[in-house]
Amino acid sequence: MPLLIGLILVVVAWTVIRAIAPDRPWFAFVPVALAGAALLALFYPALATVEFWAGLIGFVAILSALLVVIHPNPMMSVLFLILNLFCVALFYLMLQAEFLAALQIIVYAGAIMVLFLFVVMLLNLKAEEGLRIGTGPQRWGALGLGLLFSGMLFWAIQNRGRLAYFAPESTGGGFGTAREVAGLLFTRHVFAFEAASILLVAAMVGAVVLAKRRLG
Amino acid sequence: MDPVLTRVLLESAVKIGLLFAIIMTTVAYMSLVERRVSAWIQDRMGPNRVGPWGLFQPLADGIKFLFKEDIRPPHAHRALYLLAPMLVFVPALVTTSIVPFGPPVRLFGYDVRLQVADVDNGILVVLAFASMGVYGIALAGWASRNKYSMMGGIRSASQLISYELALGLSIVGVLMGAGSLRLDDIVRHQMAHGWNVFWQFPGFIIFMTAAFAETNRLPFDLPEAESELVAGYHTEYSGLRFSMFYMAEYANMFTACCVAATLFFGGYHVPGLDRLGLPSGLAATVQVAAFAVKVGFFLFVYVWVRWTIPRFRYDQLMNLGWKVLLPVALLHLGWVGFIVLKGWI
Repeated sequence: MPLLIGLILVVVAWTVIRAIAPDRPWFAFVPVALAGAALLALFYPALATVEFWAGLIGFVAILSALLVVIHPNPMMSVLFLILNLFCVALFYLMLQAEFLAALQIIVYAGAIMVLFLFVVMLLNLKAEEGLRIGTGPQRWGALGLGLLFSGMLFWAIQNRGRLAYFAPESTGGGFGTAREVAGLLFTRHVFAFEAASILLVAAMVGAVVLAKRRLG
Repeated sequence: MDPVLTRVLLESAVKIGLLFAIIMTTVAYMSLVERRVSAWIQDRMGPNRVGPWGLFQPLADGIKFLFKEDIRPPHAHRALYLLAPMLVFVPALVTTSIVPFGPPVRLFGYDVRLQVADVDNGILVVLAFASMGVYGIALAGWASRNKYSMMGGIRSASQLISYELALGLSIVGVLMGAGSLRLDDIVRHQMAHGWNVFWQFPGFIIFMTAAFAETNRLPFDLPEAESELVAGYHTEYSGLRFSMFYMAEYANMFTACCVAATLFFGGYHVPGLDRLGLPSGLAATVQVAAFAVKVGFFLFVYVWVRWTIPRFRYDQLMNLGWKVLLPVALLHLGWVGFIVLKGWI
């Protein structure tokens, strides 16, 4: 824990010094590098614990999720979203769900975000002036929903012992492997699987028809 | 610290260092091989002045790259402009870590696998990091704030998306045969049932074509087509940053060749080797050498194709990807399903 908190403080200090003296990058870099190295030397056994990595990845995940929303440049928002998706994939890895982690990177960070990037590049959006977090009902609605969601999360974490669903023992031995997922997908959930694929084909045909009509 | 953990960390560190050295040496010498072979194909001499047969040319090139001015266009997006070459380079290095270079061997009293990471979902890791490479190229094009670079970046993104499908489908055939996503299992399956290239020849051709497109090599190098786009996405880059794009291209080639050899040419398998009854150390050496020969052959094919086939037009590229490779790959999957059901492989 001290290592994690120390590293976070170092990052904060770096940001602050960069903001005060933006034209001298080494001004912030030298003390921060020294402090980071000292922390690692003092608390190196913490590097082998799960808590440290979970905390570090969680911190990066939250920071990148925040930056997706508040960064003025849409291109940077897309990149921070990719970073965030990577953090989620790392969480899956820590929970031994390797297959899910690989799919997370292939499908979300790989395929979907490329399309996001593509659209932002083609639209050539300019960096907006200052923050733009909606106005009026959008801002208050977002705030309310965010509070509601974090309340639910806290409740779930506090009661995690009583809910059988969250217990790690409720999953079998081969949980999360490709074999297990494929087995369930093609036996128990085959109807939902086929229905989803038909839905996707319909959406694809619809998109092509709409695009072609506009082309004339 | 825990002795087991220490051993694992130490072993991984040594393997990572070795693999990095192998990749960088291959990359450096591929640049020389490419120039010498292209010269040979075009009936020229090629670089032959630095050292015997020009063998020190990569060193000279490296020094030149180091001492060139690092130009940063004033209108470029600074952070992304500096980040983009690294984003191209890192995925190219990571993917090689799951390729098995030889059978498990006993070294210093430990069983050591000749691969950095023995991942259960190995082939998915290949696909995941293959799809990461596009970000670096697209960002390099966008962050340069140059029309040519931008065109190169967009072309690259659409090309990679189009050919990823064919690449994935050609790999699915291999997975259906082996029944596993682990590369070592795929190699073992080929030892027992014959190399995949004989059973799945169309799959192999589709894989190689898509791999050429994924690595942006001729005849698919539209993102950097000199005659249309100056140099495409890396027009504005110079010095070491330019050389990172260059090295990433060769590292990607190396990875694609390793994966092709593993999936379709039996990996480190040498037919009939176990019948000779060699001592295990010698047998393992022969197998690693066989893998190196297979990869070397594929690398040569890469160079050979580059200097033989001219560049596609953009519509031809898209037609080939969507209207030829994709349907053929789907038909091929039907054939693989048939032979798997028949129990032939």
